[in-house]
Amino acid sequence: MSRPQLSKYKEMEHLRGPELGSQTVKRILLRRLLQLGPLLVAVIVLNFLLIQAAPGTFLDIMTAEQQVTDQETVERLRATYGMDQPAYIQLMKYIWAVVQLDLGYSYRHNAPVFDVIMAHLPATLLLMLAAISVSVVIGVLAGVIAALKVNTFWDGAVSFLAVFFYSAPSFWLGIMLTVLFSVKLGWLPVGGMQSVLLEGGGFVRALDILKHLVLPALALGLFYAATYARVTRASMLEVSRLEFVRTARAKGLGQRRIIFAHILRNALLPVVTLLGLQLGTVLGGSVVIEAVYSWPGIGSLLFDSVMSRNFPVVIGVMVLSAFLVAIINISVDLIYVKLDPRIRFN
Amino acid sequence: MKLRVVLWSLAAVFAAVVMAAGANAQDASPVRGGAIVASWGGQEPSALFVPAGGPASSAMTATKVLERLVKMESDLSFSSVLALSVKPSGDFKQYTIEVRPGVKWHDGRDFTAEDVAFSAMDYWKPIAVGVAFRGLKSAEVVGPHTVIMTFDTPMPEFAFKSHLADWALVIPKHIYGKGDIATNPANNKLVGTGPFKLKTWVRGSHVEYERNTEYWNKKLPYLDRLIIRYWRDPASRSAALEAGELDIATFNPVPATDIPRLTSTGNIVATKDGYKNSAWILSMEFNSRRDIMAKPEVRRALLHAIDRRFIASTIYYNLAKPGVAPTVSSNSIFFTDAVQAFDYDKAKAASMLDAAGYPVKSGVRFGVNLVVPAWFADNVKVGQYLKQALEDVNLGVNLVVADRPTALKRIYSDYDFDIALSNIPQTIEPIPVVTRSYTTDSILKGVPFRNANGYSNPVVDKLVESMAVETNPEKRKAIAVEFSQIVTKDAPYLVLMEIESVTLARSGVKNHSNSANFMNESWGDLWIKRN
Repeated sequence: MSRPQLSKYKEMEHLRGPELGSQTVKRILLRRLLQLGPLLVAVIVLNFLLIQAAPGTFLDIMTAEQQVTDQETVERLRATYGMDQPAYIQLMKYIWAVVQLDLGYSYRHNAPVFDVIMAHLPATLLLMLAAISVSVVIGVLAGVIAALKVNTFWDGAVSFLAVFFYSAPSFWLGIMLTVLFSVKLGWLPVGGMQSVLLEGGGFVRALDILKHLVLPALALGLFYAATYARVTRASMLEVSRLEFVRTARAKGLGQRRIIFAHILRNALLPVVTLLGLQLGTVLGGSVVIEAVYSWPGIGSLLFDSVMSRNFPVVIGVMVLSAFLVAIINISVDLIYVKLDPRIRFN
Repeated sequence: MKLRVVLWSLAAVFAAVVMAAGANAQDASPVRGGAIVASWGGQEPSALFVPAGGPASSAMTATKVLERLVKMESDLSFSSVLALSVKPSGDFKQYTIEVRPGVKWHDGRDFTAEDVAFSAMDYWKPIAVGVAFRGLKSAEVVGPHTVIMTFDTPMPEFAFKSHLADWALVIPKHIYGKGDIATNPANNKLVGTGPFKLKTWVRGSHVEYERNTEYWNKKLPYLDRLIIRYWRDPASRSAALEAGELDIATFNPVPATDIPRLTSTGNIVATKDGYKNSAWILSMEFNSRRDIMAKPEVRRALLHAIDRRFIASTIYYNLAKPGVAPTVSSNSIFFTDAVQAFDYDKAKAASMLDAAGYPVKSGVRFGVNLVVPAWFADNVKVGQYLKQALEDVNLGVNLVVADRPTALKRIYSDYDFDIALSNIPQTIEPIPVVTRSYTTDSILKGVPFRNANGYSNPVVDKLVESMAVETNPEKRKAIAVEFSQIVTKDAPYLVLMEIESVTLARSGVKNHSNSANFMNESWGDLWIKRN
């Protein structure tokens, strides 16, 4: 790639439309944040109703676990948990508390809900981000390779692996990876987020967590990588037939530049759309992977709380997750604008 | 071919367990130091200490820090922990307890008789022991190290010590003296007298304990660190044992089919020891509020239709036995097999149902709702088998597999079942754990794991009442036998299967599975030989 061509490209930059203005960003942010409030209320109401509709109550679980022997104690516990009041009053009280940034108290954990969730949330975030990175990097790379070598052995191999990882149940994949890398080869730990017997400072610990992260991030990420690979491939092939690519070729741009700056950049839009849609599912899929790898995230907390009808924790997790997904979606919207400045969100 | 594989694995499970029983003999020269990573066949507790007893997971984490007065050994005798002696008066209404001097709480305060008296009146009677200590009148401190506990009625010595050894944890008065014991913040920041001090709890991962250097037994604990770590998935526990990341795991930690593979290398041993005072059962009960189920002859007929040996071999891989009496067969004090037996005989079951007035009409005798709690995966498989077995004698069976809250509500609050399965751990002492599924005063709507079947028999109630105050061990046993005979014949509730629990440990781990309820002991004498 010679210098005159590069500068020519720079000169043409203005033809792509105005730069991403701070006005646009502010508008998007404001609108999305305004939408967040009703969304959270809907999440609370919906989950509250679902838990109310499920048979059995938190009280049944607690009386079983507390080995309560008489009915007076049952009644006392009912009052303590606020379950002696009608459901709609419980709901109103809960929403009012959330407005005041109070997620309630978990009698089962003997601790405030916020503290319980915060003890688990960082692990889930770490796993989620790692899995997304794995899926995007591997998926897009594989898709690019498949599109470039279309209808060759490489294309077939990528397609085969994509179908394999897409259809393999993640818990099975998780166990198989463990058997191979942890039991047979002994390279990576079996589960958990850190070695319990480890002594050492920050760097040693970070490395240790990284080692624990590899398998769960792969097991969770490869499933999504499969979709990204397929979408990237299809999108790349479509974009590469468009006229501006022919123009780029005609004006003598290097192959690498054409692929990455012209084809891939435009082919990424459907991938980003998919990414935004799947963030929620990554959070859901992590419940299974967290169980297989004993990852100390909110997945296991949520499962346990649903099974014990511990609604303050269930709704707390849901509210925080909804908040999280909304925030990430806003960033995805901003990435859109960055990738394709024609998008305005009018 | 397939059958042969199954049979071989069954034989291997059996052989492994038998071999392990021998391998677990006490080692002569314990090594001080080191760390052990332990786990169990369930999940992380929601709180480290649930004062009422609560889930098995909390009991395991609490008992490494909080101690009891006495401990029940494997041979069902009692040895002293915080009590030097426990002596009954002549009429068995008073017990004089000498507590160990020179013991310190983990926060440095002295442990005294005051703590025991406080625990007895404010914790054991209302919360931990409950019904069995209802007659406890007072706990009087008569010296810095002496407490006298007085009961309204005679308290049999074995029963008293069993309750002390089971869940009468001694809690510090200076911490629990104020406020509600159940919600005390100390329940997650334990302060006890035990061999291990709580160091950290990383929620979702593990609980870490460190050696209590001030422990009253200067030789103990052998370990510097003890870690109880949680894997959510049985297959992951297998992998962790194999990879050397897990040293000992109690209460059926891995799939039964994995045990032969794990033990075949000789690095890992399996044992059934250490569960006598916490013997899990699969129970089956008939709702006597329903007209048909109210008839004992129908209940007996249905029992003949069930092949329990098939359940043991096919569903539990022989890690279970058919139940015989209301107490389990490992209970060497109160078990009796001199009760009515219900052998598997489909033809007999059918003719008994005919005789009871329920002949087959257009293919079906009558329909039943079978409620199965899914808290153990094996329960669901048993439920599926029972549906087939009862359909074979022409019953219409509606199998309801229910998750934990649903099952608790249907069985114990709404009494909405004809036949229900459930599980409890039995203690050696039958009152109240065994008897409360039969007695009239245990019909408590909304209270789980009590008499949900509605059986009410004045004779049985009388027997249990007299057994509660009978202080002669031989006479107590005789009452227990009579009780067993009546309730087995009436069959409102029965031990369908005796579930056998297995502990797996690396062969270097010593002194484990050496008491009547090993999982809930303090593990001060546990040690490990690393190669």
